[in-house]
Amino acid sequence: MNRACFVAAALLAGSCSSGAQYSQAIVALVDVSGTYADQRPEVVNVIRKGVLPRLTPGDTLVVIRIDSESYKKANVEASMTLDVRPSKANAQKLQLASTLEAFSHKQLRSAHTDIRGAMMLGAEYLRESNAGRRTMVIFSDMEEDLPRGVKRDMAADELKGVRVLAMNVKRLGHDNANPTAYRARLAGWEKQLTSHGAREFKVVLEPEKLSDLLDEG
Amino acid sequence: MQRFYFWPTNPAASIFALWVLSQIFLYAARVPMHRALREVGRLLGGAFRIGARWCRGLAGVASRRDHEMIVEMGKGDTEAKIGREFHRIEGAFAKELARYPDLHRKLDDVVTKVDADFQECATAAPAAPGWTEAVAAVSKMPPNTDGVVRKVLEEIQKSAVAGEKKALQEFREATAKRHKILSSMAPAWKEMQKIATEVARAVSGALEATKRIDGFMTSYEKVRAADKNATRALGWNATQLFVVSLLVMAVALGGAFVNFNLIALPMSELVPSGSRIAGMPVSTVAALVVVLMEIAAGVFAMEMLGITNFFPKLDLVPKSRRRIILVVAVGGLFMLACIEASLAILREQIVESTTALKASLAGVKDHPVAQTAASRIPVIGQAVLGFILPWILAMVAVPLETMISTGGHIVLSAATGLLHGGGMVCRLGGHGMRYLCEAVRHVYDIYIVIPLQIERLVSNGSKPSPVAGVRGQGARP
Repeated sequence: MNRACFVAAALLAGSCSSGAQYSQAIVALVDVSGTYADQRPEVVNVIRKGVLPRLTPGDTLVVIRIDSESYKKANVEASMTLDVRPSKANAQKLQLASTLEAFSHKQLRSAHTDIRGAMMLGAEYLRESNAGRRTMVIFSDMEEDLPRGVKRDMAADELKGVRVLAMNVKRLGHDNANPTAYRARLAGWEKQLTSHGAREFKVVLEPEKLSDLLDEG
Repeated sequence: MQRFYFWPTNPAASIFALWVLSQIFLYAARVPMHRALREVGRLLGGAFRIGARWCRGLAGVASRRDHEMIVEMGKGDTEAKIGREFHRIEGAFAKELARYPDLHRKLDDVVTKVDADFQECATAAPAAPGWTEAVAAVSKMPPNTDGVVRKVLEEIQKSAVAGEKKALQEFREATAKRHKILSSMAPAWKEMQKIATEVARAVSGALEATKRIDGFMTSYEKVRAADKNATRALGWNATQLFVVSLLVMAVALGGAFVNFNLIALPMSELVPSGSRIAGMPVSTVAALVVVLMEIAAGVFAMEMLGITNFFPKLDLVPKSRRRIILVVAVGGLFMLACIEASLAILREQIVESTTALKASLAGVKDHPVAQTAASRIPVIGQAVLGFILPWILAMVAVPLETMISTGGHIVLSAATGLLHGGGMVCRLGGHGMRYLCEAVRHVYDIYIVIPLQIERLVSNGSKPSPVAGVRGQGARP
């Protein structure tokens, strides 16, 4: 009888788990350099309409700015893990929306574009969240331009289990002249990110599709 | 295939050589091959036969168990019905018999009163003895001229007239008095009639109960004697009850689902925990537990009301304690219903808030949907639903008990049917295997028909085929 009770208790304890592994963590990397700097209001709009409503209690959202040197804590524009109570989570979402609104109106423009630095910072946040589904959404033209002396070597498992969505990739002037270069750039990113453990690299053209992709996990 | 060719460059010759070799080999191996095929057929047929026998045996066991169970169930039901009738009779008799001394006394009083009144009615004032005859004799006397005599006679006449008047007056008075007594007897008669009606009603009730008991006893005797018709009727009745209970349970399950969805969202406000149990958030599990608790409270309430009988031990509990458990169960149910009603209101608020948030995030200033939702109707509707659903769920105990009690019969009946079906398939399989092996033997003979015909020509029909015996023991249709 005692043994049966012990087994039942062990099974019950085994079946209990933290809710973190069922939650979702999203890191949004927003480019503020060069030609992409004027896209911020649109990016914030996409996050407000496409990402925030899809978050459920327990989910995490981190917004990181991509500038000349992105691997700095100061680049984190907003970070929030939603409370498990729906009412409080709603209040947090409203607060984050106002923070993003303020970010969209900031006067920011960097000379260089450190995408991998932001990715590495975002990957750290994702690992820390311990979420079951980890997604990195990049709002950039995907043209990296590191300042002199800055080195960005990602670890082999830097993006392990992370799904990378390149959202709203802006075509550069020379991309129009030679679309193959644009495609080659994206293919290069795909190769690089998957070699560092990324689960998937996907380019999303329509903002409306982002919500569905986030739901798919 | 080409690997087996003797002359790869000449496939036709190779195939012909292979065919000749196979003819020779198969002709030589014909007898043992036939025996082997016969044995295989017998083996497979035997295995299937054993399977069929096993299925039949198990089906028989299941059927017997089912029959025993049905008979026991029928006995139990009839005993319960008889017991209930006796209980009713006991109650009725206790009630009526308790009233009977009163009724009897009342009846006695009324009868005594009526008797006395009747006696009083019969008494009349007695007439003076001989007076009438004396008056008649005086009136017959001849008229007399004597003044004294005439005066005496006149006085006598006057006295007679006065006496007559007085007697008439007395008679009238006595009659009026009797009429008065008789009219005062009317309520007594009515009361007697009423009492008699009451007694008749009690007696007819008792007689009806007796008739019912008589019917139950007849069916009980039939069930005890394991009468086929009675058993079949019981089985059909059990199936009917099971189907009805299943339908009601399905409806109740739908109600439970609605109830669960009503409280799952607001429960996340009350149970703010990020942990999960078996992949489900704790708040969802809590909502599920609340629904199950309502069902459990309903089961106890029904048990204490004597409607169901899940826990025989609770029958032994004294009445006062049963009442306490009933109050606790109903009170718990009421509390849960109130909690659900409040959760339903909270749910509406959360939904409103989420709608407003989504509209705000989308940059919509006026959100007509949210305004519509702000109406009181959905809130009241959800609150009422949240309050009523627990009470409806509590009644699940009745179909649940019926389903459990009749489920055994259904399971055993289904098992019996399946086993009979399995037995049939096995029998068919056994026959099929035997005929299949026989067919293979014939195909074998067809393939080596040329050597067989040569053998026939050589032997010219005088020598019996070495496999004749084998063929003779072939298939058993």
